[in-house]
Amino acid sequence: MSGPIRNILINVDGSEESLTAADYAILLAGAVDARLFACYVVNTRALQDLVRSRIFLEVEEKEYSRDLEADADRYLNHVRKAGNEKGVSVECLKRSGSVHQELLRIVDEESIDLLVLGELAHVRSRRDEFYDESERAMRSAGCSVLIVKDSDRVDELFQRGM
Amino acid sequence: MGLLNLIEPNVVKVPLVSTTKYEVIPELLDILVNCGKVSNRDTALNALLERESLGSTGLESGIAVPHAKTPAASALTLAIGIAPDGIDFQSADGDPSRLFFLLLAPPDQSGPHIEALAEIARLTRAPAFLRALSRAESPGEVVELLNE
Repeated sequence: MSGPIRNILINVDGSEESLTAADYAILLAGAVDARLFACYVVNTRALQDLVRSRIFLEVEEKEYSRDLEADADRYLNHVRKAGNEKGVSVECLKRSGSVHQELLRIVDEESIDLLVLGELAHVRSRRDEFYDESERAMRSAGCSVLIVKDSDRVDELFQRGM
Repeated sequence: MGLLNLIEPNVVKVPLVSTTKYEVIPELLDILVNCGKVSNRDTALNALLERESLGSTGLESGIAVPHAKTPAASALTLAIGIAPDGIDFQSADGDPSRLFFLLLAPPDQSGPHIEALAEIARLTRAPAFLRALSRAESPGEVVELLNE
């Protein structure tokens, strides 16, 4: 663990893009012998926004919060298993709050030197740029950031075990 | 998936013909049924009405956001309708609702469901934009405004 990449963080949010990125991060961590952290942030900030704007009732906030907690466990387990398949140990972190802020916190706490994100959504409106959590993390992270694209190629690499 | 990815002219209706709360929900739902985005109309309608029975989804500023989780939607899906004369939706400020966002999500897609609702919540904080949207006269104009 002496190369330029020692600690990798992958953000898992349940999207196909983030799961592809997780596969790539597993392969990369194995190749460069880095520690790999996977994080799912339960977006409680969005839930609170919905209550504040009265779109959600409190009972819905609780129900959806439970759903997201379950999603976090499910997706982190998925990544842990995928890591095991390739002989890479994945340290799973479940956080709650604002997604990009929690990611930045982990980058600091764990001395992350590479943040891996799934392909960013195509920006169709000026408003998108301000609120896409991955984009905000990409712009604000103090470490290098890798955006994983080409899911077909990543899938092929993962199946081949490279 | 961003909210904008769900919006195409065929999920937008301008103007809505309904004049009451309990007509407008089925009218919006039928947009999605006719596009093949909802497999079981009754199941989806019951889910929407059940949510509405807990408290109105009519917000301030003339917006209403009827929403529900239902297995009748295989993916996150959205219909938009505009009622230029307003409809009494028992909104938070008592004003009639003009702009309707009806959102359905499968039970296993809470994350994207919340993100889409949060995007709508952010729109509610842009009153000038909402006024422009409420004045739109065609689905194409609504899509164009949302994409600006």
